[in-house]
Amino acid sequence: MSQLYPPFCNRTAIITLLALLTLSTSVFASERVIKHAFGITHISGKPERVVSLYQGATDTAVALGIPPVGAVESWLEKPMYSYLREALEHTDYLGLETQPDLESIAWLKPDLIVGARYRHEQIYPLLSRIAPTVVPDTAFDFKAMLKLIGEAAGRQQQADQLLNQWDKRVESTRNRLSRQLGKGWPQQAAVISFRADHARIYYDSFARRILDEIGFDRPNSQKKDGWGIKLTSLESIPAMDADVIFIFMRQQDPAVQRTFQRWQQHPLWQNLNAVKNNQVYLVDPITWNMGGGILAANRMLDDLNALYSPQDTPGSH
Amino acid sequence: MSRSITLRSDTGQLSFRLVPRTLVVALLLLALLLCGLFAGLTLGSHPTSFPAVINALLQPEQSDIVLIVHEIRLPRLLMAIIVGAALAVAGLILQGLVRNPLASPDVIGITGGASVATVLFLTLGGAQLNESWLPWVALLGALVVALIITLLSGSSSVMPTRLILIGVGLAAALGALTTLLIVLSSDATAMRAYVWLTGSLYASQWKQVSSILPWVALFLPLALFNARKLDLLVLGDQLATGLGSRLAAERLGLLVIAVALAGAGVAFAGGLSFIGLIAPHAARRLVSGGHTGLVIVSALLGSLMLVSADLIGRLAFAPRDLPAGIFVAAIGAPFFVYLLYRQQRQER
Repeated sequence: MSQLYPPFCNRTAIITLLALLTLSTSVFASERVIKHAFGITHISGKPERVVSLYQGATDTAVALGIPPVGAVESWLEKPMYSYLREALEHTDYLGLETQPDLESIAWLKPDLIVGARYRHEQIYPLLSRIAPTVVPDTAFDFKAMLKLIGEAAGRQQQADQLLNQWDKRVESTRNRLSRQLGKGWPQQAAVISFRADHARIYYDSFARRILDEIGFDRPNSQKKDGWGIKLTSLESIPAMDADVIFIFMRQQDPAVQRTFQRWQQHPLWQNLNAVKNNQVYLVDPITWNMGGGILAANRMLDDLNALYSPQDTPGSH
Repeated sequence: MSRSITLRSDTGQLSFRLVPRTLVVALLLLALLLCGLFAGLTLGSHPTSFPAVINALLQPEQSDIVLIVHEIRLPRLLMAIIVGAALAVAGLILQGLVRNPLASPDVIGITGGASVATVLFLTLGGAQLNESWLPWVALLGALVVALIITLLSGSSSVMPTRLILIGVGLAAALGALTTLLIVLSSDATAMRAYVWLTGSLYASQWKQVSSILPWVALFLPLALFNARKLDLLVLGDQLATGLGSRLAAERLGLLVIAVALAGAGVAFAGGLSFIGLIAPHAARRLVSGGHTGLVIVSALLGSLMLVSADLIGRLAFAPRDLPAGIFVAAIGAPFFVYLLYRQQRQER
């Protein structure tokens, strides 16, 4: 056999082998180790078939240019919020966020699954057997979520780019508000929501964190730990007070409308500073609360920029 | 009454009395349960053929649906069978024990105890602690409440009427506490709690099945061996004592079995409420001739109810996977009405 192969052939073989080795180590290097809420997940390559198990992850995946092959249904505008629908034309729906259909997930043969910490802890072992699964620590921190999903999907650059754009937009909004409102900045803002049988003040939520980042202040009574508080008595209306109040609710729901009317007609409501200043804004619950990703966050900035457009800032005249 | 078969060990420690009708009914129910099992293994949000399912079970390495059949469908079905049987037998024992046909684990506060413990765990600790502790927390809640009820109703004799009154009172208080905790909690926690309270077999995996199996494998046979004591207890305290029943000890023993079974069921499937009430009633309609037969038939009926309820929850609104608890009530309530209607007609 050895006569058939001249000695230089061996050298070529060794070189080829070495080249292959270097190549394979570079492939190994591309295996990413992702630390997340439920442990460590190894992911290699660039996942293309993503399954999203909560709203914020669906939004984030679309922003990163990888519309999920499977996603859970939205809470309003079912099966998916209209601002995402176009991007999700070919997406399979997997039922509700609380109990997504495991079989459908398996049939989709995904290469990345994104779950939610407070919903999918029990099914995490099963999900991990279907595909590499990552779970962000909290659903409110859309930036950490973007970084994690970007890293898991091998799209760190896109994620960084989106975050840079975001930082710039936040800064320009902050500067404009501070110029425009002068001594009135930072404004104290309250985030309120009305439900069928109660109202809520949020201390920590998607919208609250973005307002904080822009530099909005809040009343001392609302500087508390926890997600917020549910109010059932009209006597608690003064607790909502601030310079500006942002309200979101399911406006199509007649029961919610009735509650809102009832609270709004109360004398205590008329006594709120934000009401007197004419700075109570009804905002979209999907953008301000349910979307939960970088796209929704940018839409929230659009809303704020429109509400505080220089021509008609109610507080300034 | 029809002829009965008695099986008795040499010492007389173990004894079963069965009427032939019970055996026939039990075999029929077992056949139905097997049908349910095969339906559950074959049907899903995407149809899989029966041969493919069998292939996945027998030759897992050659199948592409082994994950779906073996990891998603099978453990969930087994959990439904185990939990259904446990809750049904717990209900049967409690009804005999307090001689009240409306007794069941949820009426006398055992489910309530598990609920409060679970919701407390989810609202206070769920964020930091590992959710795999949840079943044990729920079980602890059930056991603590059962202990309180037993102590309050007179530890020496476990009086039936006091037991049920204290249980109902405690259940109401625990229900209020559960509501309070949910009001204070965030949306995500509240939704998680609601799903638990409805009762769901979603996310049942082999790990959970192997956790609940020892409990049920211990206490279900115990229930069977002790069933004949219930035959005496239902006759009333005086007659039972006269016939040689050690009332206090036997009641306490039976109560422990019922609580252990109900607690285990509730721990792994959440606040499924209807099975413990309905299955024993249905069993009594189907067979007569003592509690040994009733234990077997109730267990089979409970399993069958939960397997069908979960199957409907999985399929009816696919891909939405809905908690089985919704459909237990949907199947159970009309059935209950039918039982009452039949009873009324027979009495005429």
